[in-house]
Amino acid sequence: MTSELFAAAEGGNVQVGEHPQWHILGMTINADTVISTAIAALIVVAFALYLARTATGKVPSRLQLIFETVTEQVERQVESNLGIRTAPFVVPLAITLFFFILIANWLAVLPHAWEEYIRPPTADVNLTFAMAIFVMILVWITGIRVKGRHYFKHFVEPYPVLLPLNLVEELTKPITLSLRLFGNILAGTVMVSVLALMPAAIQWLPTSAWKLFDLFIGLLQALIFALLTILYFAFAAAPQEEEGAH
Amino acid sequence: MSSYYLAAAGGGGNLFLIPNATFFVELVIFLIVLAVVWRYAVPPVKRGMDERREMVRRQIEESQQASKRLAEAEDRYSKALAEARVEAAKIRETARADAQDIKDEMRHQAEQEVARIRERGEEQLAHQREQIVREMRSELGNLAVTLAGRIVGESVADDARRAGTVDRFLDELHGMAASDSSSGDTGGPSNSSADSAGDGVVTARNGRRRR
Repeated sequence: MTSELFAAAEGGNVQVGEHPQWHILGMTINADTVISTAIAALIVVAFALYLARTATGKVPSRLQLIFETVTEQVERQVESNLGIRTAPFVVPLAITLFFFILIANWLAVLPHAWEEYIRPPTADVNLTFAMAIFVMILVWITGIRVKGRHYFKHFVEPYPVLLPLNLVEELTKPITLSLRLFGNILAGTVMVSVLALMPAAIQWLPTSAWKLFDLFIGLLQALIFALLTILYFAFAAAPQEEEGAH
Repeated sequence: MSSYYLAAAGGGGNLFLIPNATFFVELVIFLIVLAVVWRYAVPPVKRGMDERREMVRRQIEESQQASKRLAEAEDRYSKALAEARVEAAKIRETARADAQDIKDEMRHQAEQEVARIRERGEEQLAHQREQIVREMRSELGNLAVTLAGRIVGESVADDARRAGTVDRFLDELHGMAASDSSSGDTGGPSNSSADSAGDGVVTARNGRRRR
């Protein structure tokens, strides 16, 4: 199976992590990622603006109900893990991450023929790194702002000897956060490419089955990213020392 | 197509785990989305949720108040019902007593009426009897004298003797009538005696005419 896959990849049918690129001012920009990110962003922004216009305290629309459900869950998580007052901005951040990643992941259901231009942007490390690094920098700032010098204490706990390990752990957080999402979604697209090698007469069945499963993966990964964001904020800024569990 | 894949064209593996300048574009796009959601979507939805929560809270409160008022009203109702029942029983009792009183009174009145009517009847009867007796006393006297004169054929000139004879006769007659009335009903004998007296008169007149 593996050798077949490699053979197919060398045959030029399965390309992994290759992008059409733009070169502007000496910078290399992945064109497909930017386009699909922009599409996902437009969808989320349209959704947000629609809600801003129609949100009501009376009978909510279905979209509003979805948004409210996510908001409630996020608020509950933030409240139970670190307290909304400690870092109120975590709520909109986690909500945005969830919806943006969800829509971005779900771009994977577009037909295979479009994949050359619109593939899920989360299958490119550039987006996942951007989000993860942004989140982690906010986490560190929040931790230092909330706890002051005491924030650094956790690097030498429970023993000072563990300082390097703790530092590595902290630095791997953005990397694991981004690569987990990236790997899952990229694997989904690779899977579709591999399935595309099958004869057209039968490939529709596994492809559609896989895309349905991919929807579930997309939802799960969006959920994990948002939840881990909240938890990282909790580790960094929770009033009492939380037990770090990975 | 292969012209796009510069990294791939560079031979070896491509470094798709290393971010390039796309990172900054992606970051900007994400920040825009974050700003829009944060600024425009979250506040109105949260406001809506709060409003609805407040509304639900108010409705629960109102429904609690309403059920309390309902319980109070039911309490008042049952109390009023009990009072009304007591009142009705009292009224019924009074009415029954009144009816009894009225019945007694009316019976009493009726009895009095009956007694009065009977008394008056008796008085009338006695009165009539007396009148008849008086009439007969004068009439019978003359008749008897006339009759006796004819039969005896002598004129009874002596007034005093005549009066004595008549009176004696009448007294006898009266005594007869009295014994009759005590044995029979009150009206009978006096009426019959009056009738017989009338007959007697008629007969006497007839006899006189015949002569």
